Order: sequence, then C-alpha cells, then structure tokens
Amino acid sequence: MMTSKKIILTGSFGVGKTSIFNQFMFQKFSDKYLTTIGVKVNKKVVNINNEDVSLLVWDIAGEVTQDKVPTSYFLGASGIIYVIDLSRPTTFEKLESDITYLKKLLPGAIVKLVGNKKDLLSEEELEETIKVISKPLDSVTSAKTGENIEELFISLAESYLVK
Amino acid sequence: MTSGNHIQDEEQALERLKSILLRQDRAELEEIRGILNNKEKLSEKVKPIILDHFIFLKENFSQEYESIINDLIDKKLKQSESDILDIIYPSLGKMISKYVSLQITTLKESIENSVKSKFSFTRSITSFFTGVKESDLILKDAVTSAIEEVYLIQKDSGLLLASASNQESMDKDVVAGMLTAIKSFVEDAFNKDAQDLETIEYGSYKIVIRSYYSFYIAVAISGALSTSERGILSEKIDSFAANEIKIYKGKYDSAGTEISSLLEKQFIFS
Repeated sequence: MMTSKKIILTGSFGVGKTSIFNQFMFQKFSDKYLTTIGVKVNKKVVNINNEDVSLLVWDIAGEVTQDKVPTSYFLGASGIIYVIDLSRPTTFEKLESDITYLKKLLPGAIVKLVGNKKDLLSEEELEETIKVISKPLDSVTSAKTGENIEELFISLAESYLVK
Repeated sequence: MTSGNHIQDEEQALERLKSILLRQDRAELEEIRGILNNKEKLSEKVKPIILDHFIFLKENFSQEYESIINDLIDKKLKQSESDILDIIYPSLGKMISKYVSLQITTLKESIENSVKSKFSFTRSITSFFTGVKESDLILKDAVTSAIEEVYLIQKDSGLLLASASNQESMDKDVVAGMLTAIKSFVEDAFNKDAQDLETIEYGSYKIVIRSYYSFYIAVAISGALSTSERGILSEKIDSFAANEIKIYKGKYDSAGTEISSLLEKQFIFS
C-alpha cells in the first residue's frame, strides 16, 4: 500500500504558496475554497526508488497564528512547508515564533523552510537576504521558473521512507 | 454744403428706401418676435408640432428604439444579476415548494386510489407490521436510495484509510482530505458542546458521517433517505466500526486493502 502523508503548506499572505505548488499538484478543487473555508487539499505523488509516496498537501490561507484558520487544519500533519517571500522582509519577521508554535502543535513533524520569489532578486541581494533570515533555508524557489520545487517534495518524501 | 451733411442725407434716403422696401418683412419680423416673447402664443404654435412628433414616436417607438432598449436591458441585467437572483430566489423557492407539495399530494392520492383497486398481500403484511402506510411503501419502492461510496478516514490528518464505491469518482485521497477540511471548518465555526458534523446534504445526495476516536466513516448516498432508514444506517456503521474492524485497531493505515473489502461487502453489495 502507498505511503500517504499530510503536509501543511503555510506562511504569510502573498508569499506565493498557491502559485508555487499549483504547477506541481494533482488539482481537483478550485482555489475558491481557500477564500471560503481557508484551505484547499492537493495531492502530489512522488516516486523514490520505485516506491510511491502520496503527499496530501493542505494549502492553508492566511497567517499561521491567525484565529480565522481552524487549528484543526494542522492536526495530524507529518510535514510543514513554511514559505517566505525573499523580496519582502515582513514575511519572515515572525518566522521564529511561527515555527516555534507549529513545532509545539505538531511535534515530530518535519519542517521545511522555503524562500520563494528567487527570480525577483539578484545573486548579491539573495546572499544579503539569506544572511538576515533568522533560520537557515531548506530551499530557495521560484514560482515563475519552477526552480527547486520538485526537489523539495522529493526530499520530504525521502524523509518519510527513511523513517 | 459739407461732406458730412451729404453723408447724412444719403443715410436718411437709404433709411426711407429700406422702410418702403422692407415694410412687409419688418412687420412679419415684429409679429414673430411677438409670438416668441409671448409664452401662450408660442405654445399655441409649437404644440401641434410636438404632438405630431409624439404620435409618430408612439407609433414607431419599437422600430426606432427597440435595439437600443434591448441593449440597455441586457447590460443592466448583466450588471444586476446577483441582485435580481437575490430578489427572485425566495419567491421562486416558495413557488417550487408549493408546486412540489401539490404534486406529491396528487401522486399520493392517485397511489392510494391505485392501492385500493390493486391489492398486494405482501405489501399489506409489511404495512401492518411496520406501521408504514401502503402508499408510502409504494413511493419508497419507486424512489429508492443507494449507497454510492464509503470512506474510512483518519480523523485528524484526513488521510484516507480505506474506501469502497459503486461508481467512478474523483481522487479519493483528495476527496477525503477536503471532506475532513469541511468537517473541521464546520465543527470549529459552530462549535457548541464539541459536537461532530453528522450529515452533509446536496440536492438528493447525502453524506452521512459517523465519528469515532481516531477515525470517522463517511457514507455517500443518492436518493431519498427517511429518518428511520438513516437511523438503521447509522447503527450499521456503528456496528461495523465496533466489530468488523476492531482487529485492525492501531494499524488501520496498513490494513487498507482488507478494510476496503469489508466496506464493499457491508455497504456496497449488501
């Protein structure tokens, strides 16, 4: 039987969460669910050494600690993908507190910190930005080019097979 | 005699000539000024013209302005679509309910008449022992419910543990996830006394949900489902959860295939 894991996709407004993953997901439901019930579930199947891992990704709208998003959306997740917008420092101001909150809510879940919108920065600007982010990034991505998205999912799936 | 006097004489002569030649024109001009400056006289003159034009417009309005009016109406309707629907829906809903009730009453009466003329021993016995009217039994036979899909879903994560279905459907993993999201949303938004969402209805389609400690079972049904039938189904689901799958307790996620077979046997093919 295929391994299935629930992954939470979260981060501030407008960091590009939905844009990044729309390209790589098996989509059945419209994005309107994000604005109506605050979440949309997508699926991504990744093949690691001839073994399929099904990642059910809960794309959650809004801020991590926002009251309007039910905490129950986060329950049972095996992984957290926290996305920041590299071109907007305000999106990683609450990084530490958000990650602490999520780790407390989901102990044992794998956390991946992703810096998106890489295409908006030059190499120098990117280096400078990474220096000021309080935690090391697991991946630097671009929704525009699709850079590093597939690799992100593969690394997540590999973690679950090793476990 | 100076040149100035000469010019003056010429002007006077010209003026006298003008008054002779233009006497009639000047008189007519004065008359017109009199009419224009007098509202009543002007109205008297203009009114027939306006009336004629008004009659022409009335007779030829649709020909002259139909396409413009139609375009305006179309534009307005499109802009106000949601407002119009908001106004119409309540009245339309009431009209439809009234009509459907009337049709059902008529249907029932005709069935009653039919029952009286066509005796069925089996149906009579069933009606006697269950207390359900024969006409209701006939109606039920005509509009039966069917279990279309059954899902066993891990409660917190929304991951699909097992499923069985009677039809081709959307990706079951994604459906299970979204169903869990909707359930979480409703229970969170309207949380009183920590209750569980038990039914989702959409037209003649129902999803009956029974929640347990670490999982929940969702059964999707098409067709009419009476209160008593719903009760029987809920008991069946509870019994399944308590007895049929207890051997898999703690390892539901690895026993998906076996549990799916049980779901199929118990709900789809029974």
